[in-house]
Amino acid sequence: MDVDSSSPSKYITLVSSDGFEFVVMRKAAFISPAIKSMLDPKSQFQEARTGRCVFEEINGIVLEKVVEYFHYWYKYQDKEDVPDMEIPVELCLELLTAADYLGLDSKERLLPSR
Amino acid sequence: MITGRGGSGSRGRIRPPRRPVGRPGQPDDFEQCWDKLREALRDIHNKNAGDLSFEQLYRYSYKIVLKKAGNQLYDRVKDFEEQWFAEQVMPPIWALITKNLISITLDEAPGTSIAERRSMGEKFLKGVRGSWESHNMSMNMIADILMYLDRGYTQDCSRPSIYTTTIGLFRNHILRSGLGTSEPQYHVFDILNATIIDQINMEREGDVIDKALIRSCISMLECLFETDEEQEQERLYLTTFEPFYIRTSHVFYKSECERLLREGDASAWLRYTKRRLAEEAGRCQTTVSPLSIHKIAAVVEQELISKHLEEFLNLEGSGIRSMIDNDRIEDLTILYNLVSRIDPKKTALRNALAVRVVELGNEIEQTLRNTDFSIAQTSDSKEPAGSAKKMNAAAQQTAAAIKWVDDVLLLKDKFDRLWTTCFDEDLTLQTALTKSFSDFVNSFGRGAEFVSLFIDDNLKRGIKGKTEAEVDVVLDKAITLLRYIGEKDKFEQYYQKHLARRLLHGKSESQEVEQEMISRMKRELGNNFTQKFEGMFRDMSTSKETTEDYRNHVRGLGALEHNQIDLSISVLAGNNWPKEVMGRFTGLADGPKIKATYPREIQRLQESFFEFYTKNRNGRVLTWVGSAGTADIKCLFPKIPGKTTGPLAKDRRYDVNISTYGMIVLLLFENVGEDEWLTFEEIQAATSIPQPDLINALTSVSSLKPYRLLTKKSGESKESQANSAAKPTDQFTFNREFVSKTIKLRVPSVNAANKVENDDERKETDQKTIETRKYVIDAAIVRIMKQRKELLHSQLITEVIQVLAGRFKPDLPLIKNRIEDLLSREYVERVELSDGPPAYRYVA
Repeated sequence: MDVDSSSPSKYITLVSSDGFEFVVMRKAAFISPAIKSMLDPKSQFQEARTGRCVFEEINGIVLEKVVEYFHYWYKYQDKEDVPDMEIPVELCLELLTAADYLGLDSKERLLPSR
Repeated sequence: MITGRGGSGSRGRIRPPRRPVGRPGQPDDFEQCWDKLREALRDIHNKNAGDLSFEQLYRYSYKIVLKKAGNQLYDRVKDFEEQWFAEQVMPPIWALITKNLISITLDEAPGTSIAERRSMGEKFLKGVRGSWESHNMSMNMIADILMYLDRGYTQDCSRPSIYTTTIGLFRNHILRSGLGTSEPQYHVFDILNATIIDQINMEREGDVIDKALIRSCISMLECLFETDEEQEQERLYLTTFEPFYIRTSHVFYKSECERLLREGDASAWLRYTKRRLAEEAGRCQTTVSPLSIHKIAAVVEQELISKHLEEFLNLEGSGIRSMIDNDRIEDLTILYNLVSRIDPKKTALRNALAVRVVELGNEIEQTLRNTDFSIAQTSDSKEPAGSAKKMNAAAQQTAAAIKWVDDVLLLKDKFDRLWTTCFDEDLTLQTALTKSFSDFVNSFGRGAEFVSLFIDDNLKRGIKGKTEAEVDVVLDKAITLLRYIGEKDKFEQYYQKHLARRLLHGKSESQEVEQEMISRMKRELGNNFTQKFEGMFRDMSTSKETTEDYRNHVRGLGALEHNQIDLSISVLAGNNWPKEVMGRFTGLADGPKIKATYPREIQRLQESFFEFYTKNRNGRVLTWVGSAGTADIKCLFPKIPGKTTGPLAKDRRYDVNISTYGMIVLLLFENVGEDEWLTFEEIQAATSIPQPDLINALTSVSSLKPYRLLTKKSGESKESQANSAAKPTDQFTFNREFVSKTIKLRVPSVNAANKVENDDERKETDQKTIETRKYVIDAAIVRIMKQRKELLHSQLITEVIQVLAGRFKPDLPLIKNRIEDLLSREYVERVELSDGPPAYRYVA
C-alpha cells in the first residue's frame, strides 16, 4: 500500500456511533478502501484534514472488533500459519454489515488506488 | 482464518444488524439523499470540499444503493456531469480554440512566427491541461464517495464504473467535439495532437518548450480510452496520438536524412543520428510517453539508419572507407552501435569491413609489386648479400615477402584494434574479418611461403636482443597468420625446408624459440602437423650426441692421423627432412645417384665414421649430403713477391668456413700451380659434384668480392662478368691476392639463405604439393571407406573435404581422379545400383 509519507500522523481516530474513539494505525486502517479514500490527502474532505472518521452507522462494540481485525490483518498480512481471530458468534451479522460498508469484502484492497 | 466461538446458541443469540434505514432525523428518502449528493458534487467541482464529510456522503450513496436505486443514482450523476460539462468546462476551452490556432495547426498557414505559434499552442495546451486536471481530480473524489455505488450496483449490472463513465465524458464532450461549422471534419483532438506535435517539432529544431505541460497532456491521453471498456490497447494515446506522432516523425526525419545525404558527411550523419536517438529516448521519458520509446526509436532507426545506410557508408571522403583508413575510432564506434540497433547481424557493416579488408589486402600486394626492393632495404636487412645479380633478385623477393607479412600483420593489428575499441568485440564481425583476411591471404597464392619466410627471418635475426614478451608477440603474430592460411600442407613444406636450413647451417637464433614455435603450431594444428618438425629436432640432438661419442671414440683410438680434421655430423632421418636438403630431389632427376668424389682425407674420415656408426646400428645406410654441410679450412695465402707494403706483402692465414662442396673444390686447387687454370669441366670431372651444386659452390667462392678465393675467367667475355654466377664455360684459378680484413671468414652458401622461390622453383613446389596431396587424399578416402564400407559418391566427396579441410582445400577433380585411381587399384569398387546415385564399396 502506498502511504503518503507526508501525512501528518501515523495514527488516525475512528469514532463509533455511540461515541467510542479508537486510535488506529493509519496503515492498518487502509485495508478498508472506504477509509483509505476518506483519508486521501488529495481529496481534502473533512476526514482527511482532521484524521478523524465518524461512523454513524457502527456502534462501539462492532467498531472495536473491526479495529481488532485491522491490526490483526496488519500484523499478519504477509505471514503464514497465523492464529485464528476470535469472532463472537452473536456479532457476526453486524460485523458482516460493517465489513460490507467499509469495503472489506473486495479484492480491491490489494489494488493500487486510482 | 476467522472462526466463530462457542457452540450454537450457547451464549445468547446472534444479534441482527440494525436496519440502516428508517432512523429519525436522517434523510432516508432518495431525493433527499440525492440533493445532498448533488450539492456535494458541485462543491467538489468548485474545489470546495473541505467542509464535506466523506463518511456522510458515502453513507448517502450506500443507502441509495441498498434501496436498489443505484441505477437512478448512476444516471443522475451522469446527467449532472454532462450538464456541468456543457455549462462550466466547455466554454473556456472553446475560447482557446481561436481561428488563428486552427489555421496554424491544421493548415500550417504561413506568416506566424515560431514564438507566436509556441505561445498560442502553450496557451491552448494549458487550458486543456487545467480543465483535465480539475475534472480528473473531481472525478476521483466523486468516484470515491460513490464507491459503494460501484461495488453494489455498477459491477452487478456490468456498467462501466462511475469514474470511467464520468471521465469518458471528457473524451466525448471535449476531445471528440467538432470544430463547429467552419471545419466540420476536424475535432478538438486534431488540434490537440497537431499542437503537441508542433511543440515537439519546435524542440527538435532547438527551441525550448514546456516539457511538463506536454507530458501532462499526453498522460491525459494515456488515461483515456476509446470506449468505456478501457481496453489496454485502446488508450487514446495509442489510438490517436501515437500514430500521428509516428507519422509526423517519419516525415521530419525523412527530410532531415535527405538533407544530411545532400551534405554528404557521414561523420556528421553519425553524430546527428546518435544525438537524435538519445534525444528521442529522453523525450519519451520527459515529454511524450514511455510507451512510445521503442516505436519512435524505430522511426529514427528506419529513417536515419536503415534507409540510406549503404549510401552513407559509401560516401566518398567520409564513408566507412575513410573511417577505417583514418582510424576514426569514434565514428566507427557510433557506426557500430547504430548498425547493431537495426540489424543484429550487422550485415552492412560486416560486408563493408570485409570488402575493405580485401581491398587493403590487395593493396598490400599491389604495393609489393610496385616497390623496388633493390634499394636500401636489401643491403641492411639481408645478411651480406653481396652483389651477384641472382642473389640480389632473390634477396629483394625475400625482403618483399617480409614486407608483405609485416603489412598484413599491421593490417591485422589495425582491424583488431578497431574490433576491440569500436566493435565491442563482436563475434559476427570477428568471423567476417577472419574470413576476409584468410580470403585475401589465400588469394595471394604465396601466403604460405611468405609466412614461413617471415618466421624464418625472425628466428634467424628478428628475435635477437628481444625480451621474452616481445618474442611471444612475434610468435603470436606468426600463428595468427598461419590460421589464415588455407593450404596448410604447403606451409608445412616450406617450413620444413626453411627449418632444415636453419638447423643445418646453425642459423637459428634460439633453440628455445624454435621449440616454442613448434609447440604453438602443435597446439593450433595438431600433432600430425608438427611430427616432421619434431623429428628434425630429434635428429639434431641425437646427432650432437653421436658426434660427441664419435669424438671420444676417435680419441680412444688415438688415431692421430685424423686429428687435423674434426668431424661434426648430423644424421638425418630421410622422412623428416625436405627432399632438396637430402639431395634426393636432384638425384632423382639425374637418374642413378652420382656420388661426389671426396678428397682422400675426407674419405678416410667418412669411412671411419661409418664404421663407428654401424657398429651399434646394423643395416643402416648413410648417404653423405655434401650440399648440406660446411667445412672449416685453414688457408694460407703466401706473400706476393714484389709487394713490399700492404697486406699482400705478408703471408696471410685465414680460417674459412665454407660449404662441403666448396671445400672439395678448394682442396682441388691446393696442388694447382700459379697461373694454372682449371676449367669447369675439369673441376666437375674431378669432384663429380652435380652441376647445379657445383655452380653454387663455385659462385660462392668466385663471385662475391669479399670471398673471392678463386679468380674466375669467363669463357666468352673476359672479366666483365666477375660478379655473375659461375658458368660451365668458366675457368678458375686460386686467387693469390686474396685479402680479408678478418681472420675468420664465412663464405655464404648461395643456397643457404631462405628466400622466395623463383617461378621454376615454385612450379616444382606446386607440383610436389599436388603429389603429396594425392597420397593424402588416397589415405583419406581409404580410411573413410574402410569405416563406412559403403558410401554414396556425393557423401564420400563431402567427407573427404571435411577431413582434409584442416590441411588444404582439395579440389573436386583431384578427388574424383583419386577415386578413379583407387577403383583401378581395387581398393574400392562401384556398387551396382539399378538406378540409384553412384556409390562405392570398400574392398577388404
